[in-house]
Amino acid sequence: MEANKVKRRDFLKVAGITGAFFAVGFESFALTGGKAELKTLMPEDFINGVPMNPFVIIPEKGKITMMAHIPELGQGIFQGIPAIVAEELDVDMDQVEIVKSSASRAYGRQSIGGSRSVRTQFTPMRKLGATTRDALLRTAAEKWGVPVNECSTDSGKVLHKSSGKEITYGELAAEAKAQTLNKEVKLKEKKDFKIIGKATHRPDLGNKVNGQADYGMDARPEGLLYATVERCPTLQGKLTGYDKAAAMSVEGVVEILEVTRNVYGKRNTGIAVVAKNQFAALQGRKKLNAQWENAEFSKVDTEKLFTDMENLSKDLGMEHVEKGDFAGAYAATDNRLDVVYKLPYLSHSCMEPMNATVHVREDNTAEVWASSQSPQVHRTIAQDLGIPQDQAEDKIKVHMPFMGGGFGRRSMNDSFEECYQISKALRKPIKLVWTREDDTQQGPFRQGTVHRFAASFDEDNQPTGMQTKMVSQAITTQGRDSRGRIPFEVMESINTHYGFENMSVRFNEYKSQIPIHWWRSVFAATNGPAFEAFIDEMAVKSGKDPLAFRKEYLKSEPRFVKVLERLEKESYWNRKLGANEGKGLAIVESFGTIVAQAVFLKKENGKVSIPKVVAVVDCGIYINPDQVKAQTEGNIIFGLTAALKDPITFKNGAAEQANFDTYRMLRMNEAPREIEVHLIDNNEAPGGVGEPGLPPIAAALMNAVANMSGKRLRELPFDLQSV
Amino acid sequence: MATFKLNINQKSYEVEADPQTPLLWVIRDELGLTGTKYGCGIAQCGACTVHLNGTAVRSCSIPVSAGASQQITTIEGLSEDNSHPVQKAWLDVQAPQCGYCQSGQIMSAAALLDRNPNPSDDDIDQAMSGNICRCGTYTRIRKAIHLASNEISNGSK
Repeated sequence: MEANKVKRRDFLKVAGITGAFFAVGFESFALTGGKAELKTLMPEDFINGVPMNPFVIIPEKGKITMMAHIPELGQGIFQGIPAIVAEELDVDMDQVEIVKSSASRAYGRQSIGGSRSVRTQFTPMRKLGATTRDALLRTAAEKWGVPVNECSTDSGKVLHKSSGKEITYGELAAEAKAQTLNKEVKLKEKKDFKIIGKATHRPDLGNKVNGQADYGMDARPEGLLYATVERCPTLQGKLTGYDKAAAMSVEGVVEILEVTRNVYGKRNTGIAVVAKNQFAALQGRKKLNAQWENAEFSKVDTEKLFTDMENLSKDLGMEHVEKGDFAGAYAATDNRLDVVYKLPYLSHSCMEPMNATVHVREDNTAEVWASSQSPQVHRTIAQDLGIPQDQAEDKIKVHMPFMGGGFGRRSMNDSFEECYQISKALRKPIKLVWTREDDTQQGPFRQGTVHRFAASFDEDNQPTGMQTKMVSQAITTQGRDSRGRIPFEVMESINTHYGFENMSVRFNEYKSQIPIHWWRSVFAATNGPAFEAFIDEMAVKSGKDPLAFRKEYLKSEPRFVKVLERLEKESYWNRKLGANEGKGLAIVESFGTIVAQAVFLKKENGKVSIPKVVAVVDCGIYINPDQVKAQTEGNIIFGLTAALKDPITFKNGAAEQANFDTYRMLRMNEAPREIEVHLIDNNEAPGGVGEPGLPPIAAALMNAVANMSGKRLRELPFDLQSV
Repeated sequence: MATFKLNINQKSYEVEADPQTPLLWVIRDELGLTGTKYGCGIAQCGACTVHLNGTAVRSCSIPVSAGASQQITTIEGLSEDNSHPVQKAWLDVQAPQCGYCQSGQIMSAAALLDRNPNPSDDDIDQAMSGNICRCGTYTRIRKAIHLASNEISNGSK
């Protein structure tokens, strides 16, 4: 969208015409109240009505506005939070206009990760809706002079049934806003939900099938310049020289400057080429011929690293859980299993590569289009520009565009950081786009891991003990010592509910220069597959059906058992398979949700395919069942890519994969033909949904391969066609 | 730099650009049709798919000079109001998640149905495997293509 320099009241007129206009990030000045002062207009400035609170704005007539204040990257939260508010406010979703908010402290914390949004916002947002409803209800009762308990609400109206009176929320809003809020409001019972738990269409998808949705990549403020950054091909290095003149000689290149990005305390230098268009910037970058001194990092080599990690896994390491006496049980028998699993480093590879658009102006104000899972960057900018913190939100405006995926990667604001430095230096609007190669090679990455398992069995091959020792870098202790404590994130999804008499779960931290970062389901993405594949090995050795084995050893956990029973039924688990078929399952809890999956394999004319995956999800109370299913389907594909496609490997300090030709993604022809997702209905607190569908899939796949071929694979990724 | 006449969505544009500039950047940055997306720059992901004389092509790998005087359709030109059978089917099955790849997916699907209104699953595999979806919406896309195919064949009866 081009710049708009019109008067504010004209904006309000325009805003009424098209809802999509609200959502578009654009350079947006308007004159304020006749004064010759420019104001940056944000989505909030276009909304008419009484703001009952920052999230709910009620106009006298027409749709109620609800703010989508949590960044949307595919998970459906754009509608998810308003749906929770609407439920308790007692309005229908078609009476609501959802508007993507700015980043602002007014909305509280807006960062996303850990499949946390619904989990943390469910109760507060219900209370917000219910409290607002209560104020409207009391206002009507006072107006009519009737007892509050004789009044009720329905679809945006307050009703007094005995007299037949009714009044809309819009007519009450201005007075209701003056009410003292009742903090002890009663929330609805689940059986009375009209919106929560029902499949609804996502209102953001209309603009996602016609090219109108605004992604960070699409910001086009007036006078925009385009930037690309050349960085050290190894993880880090000291810039020793580059050919500025050659790059400047490319037509359209306007500036070249050094920038840095902070990756877990390490400052990585880059050379920014700024040009009038994207092509010129890229052409200029090719001519830089940058020289780097990178001896320290040139030795990073994943082959050696995995050998080191495997050696380290022989050490006892730090205790996470010890039950009974594993060492004793293991020493008492020769009937054992001893195996090692290895999972690779990976890239996040969001479809929308990392990018940012920033305009630091001559007058020391700033506007940002933050393609970020942590968009509240006001403080950082204010500090750097010398703006007092209490003026930060006036002088710094931050748009939250839709994001083309995040998967944890966008919780690091390094592309914003680079772009900000360029704009600050030039005082011009700058769009920085990382190339796909930058995105794949520069990290930070998902951790690679080694898992050493041991189990002991009695003479009937029934387990007497099991041990897992996990070796990995940790995310939260990069660049510092973990001081003998296990970092909180690393043991996710190692299922200590399994009722083995003797159990030992341990961790060894491996230090490496490779930067790692939150990657969809984080350590559940590595622990889940390895652990559940080994459980399968134990089940097979015991001579029991793997599903029956899990039910037996998880019998103390009724939710796990229910999920397994449902999977047994829905997948027709006990049906006999043909000669060239295989099946495998896994069950993993992560982020408050239990997911079990069954994978079916078929070998036909020498080609192996995945005709079907069946998933059962217990995420407690859910908002939109269709979105739980969509996220689970997506997690299955994401997890299959991790299991079957390319790893990130390092040689001489540099990632060997660069673009989608060498770092391949699962495609349509390789995807399961059918994915079924079944949800468990219960009254448990909401669990996460964006990640828990991922951890079981690789294990279920490895287990299905073993079931079909007799070959036990213990290293990811592998080629499905070679099994 | 040179001047090129482009015909996009049945509208004529004149742009100044280096002849080697990928059509993608001209469409997005010079003409402001940002529905067409950058994903890889090497014709591997399909996010930049547009129609060139009715055929699905990757606009990241076609120089603007080769697009001149051809009929180009982008996602914005598919319909005025989300009424193309593919768009309708996409919404019916709620295919998009993040949505970033979906312009390209939809353009590939529309081109497929244009030349083959009744594609088999294998036909779909063949036509759609050039489009990556990182959110993993493949099973819904397949469903949507079958749905759109039904609507097209019912509509033509």
